[in-house]
Amino acid sequence: MTREEVLQDLQTRFGDDIIEFFDKSPHRVYIEIKPDAIVQFGVYLFRTLKARFNIASGTDIPPKIEILYHFIIEDINLLISLRIKLDRDNAVSKSLGAEIEAVNWIEREMAELLGITFTGHPDPRHLLLHEEWPKEVYPLRQDYEEWDETADRTRGV
Amino acid sequence: MGLKLKALLKSPWVFHLSTGSCNNCDIEILDCLTPRFDIERFGILLSGSIKHADVLLVTGSCNRMSVERMKDLWEQVPKPCLVIAIGSCAASKGLFIDSYNCPVALDKIVPVNAYVPGCPPKPEAMIAGVVALITKLSEGS
Repeated sequence: MTREEVLQDLQTRFGDDIIEFFDKSPHRVYIEIKPDAIVQFGVYLFRTLKARFNIASGTDIPPKIEILYHFIIEDINLLISLRIKLDRDNAVSKSLGAEIEAVNWIEREMAELLGITFTGHPDPRHLLLHEEWPKEVYPLRQDYEEWDETADRTRGV
Repeated sequence: MGLKLKALLKSPWVFHLSTGSCNNCDIEILDCLTPRFDIERFGILLSGSIKHADVLLVTGSCNRMSVERMKDLWEQVPKPCLVIAIGSCAASKGLFIDSYNCPVALDKIVPVNAYVPGCPPKPEAMIAGVVALITKLSEGS
């Protein structure tokens, strides 16, 4: 399929779920969708359109938390970024990692660093942080404050 | 200087330990070891196992996860052992001074004998650091 056919196909198939469609450049499209539709949309891109899952990125933008899932269709050199916005106080999203193996680790990372709960995630352990990291403390949130009173903020001896 | 340390300085076997570095210092260490600088000429040999090491080359900013591993390794290394902090992160926590994941500086965890600053330090700087350390220890005897 060409670029136009792909975009047309997505718009007709998921028209109701798309909140905003932003055609940034010939190789880059941002699609903001409803959080509930992420699994359906991602799996369609991955399995049917044979897109490659590149990476996902999470950002804390009060009052929302934004996640971007980046998919690349290499045949037509098109990067499609699926954007979902979650409530900051109740950041819960369906897990794409249950369907696409490659999403597993990045969702674990977003879960521990930004405090997003991915329902149905196959392996919700910590990825980078220590197992003894306190609960409900998320280092990449804007309002993160130092919790460790034993931390030594000097440059050493 | 004891006999052990004297024997150690003749041909120090180094163990390369990264505690969460960005890999730049590690690349420069590899540069030291590979033919261009080839510090094996001076008897400095990369050791694959911590149990054969005389010198620890530590890079990185010691994050919460790697500190535990480093303590394990420190217990396994035969003493006397010299520690060289390679790069700004290992020497003084660099830009990770306020990082949520780096609570303690390297020299508060293990005794450090030499610091090689730089981000990353040049291979020349590392060789100079090792030479300075060996000279200091030899003169101290």
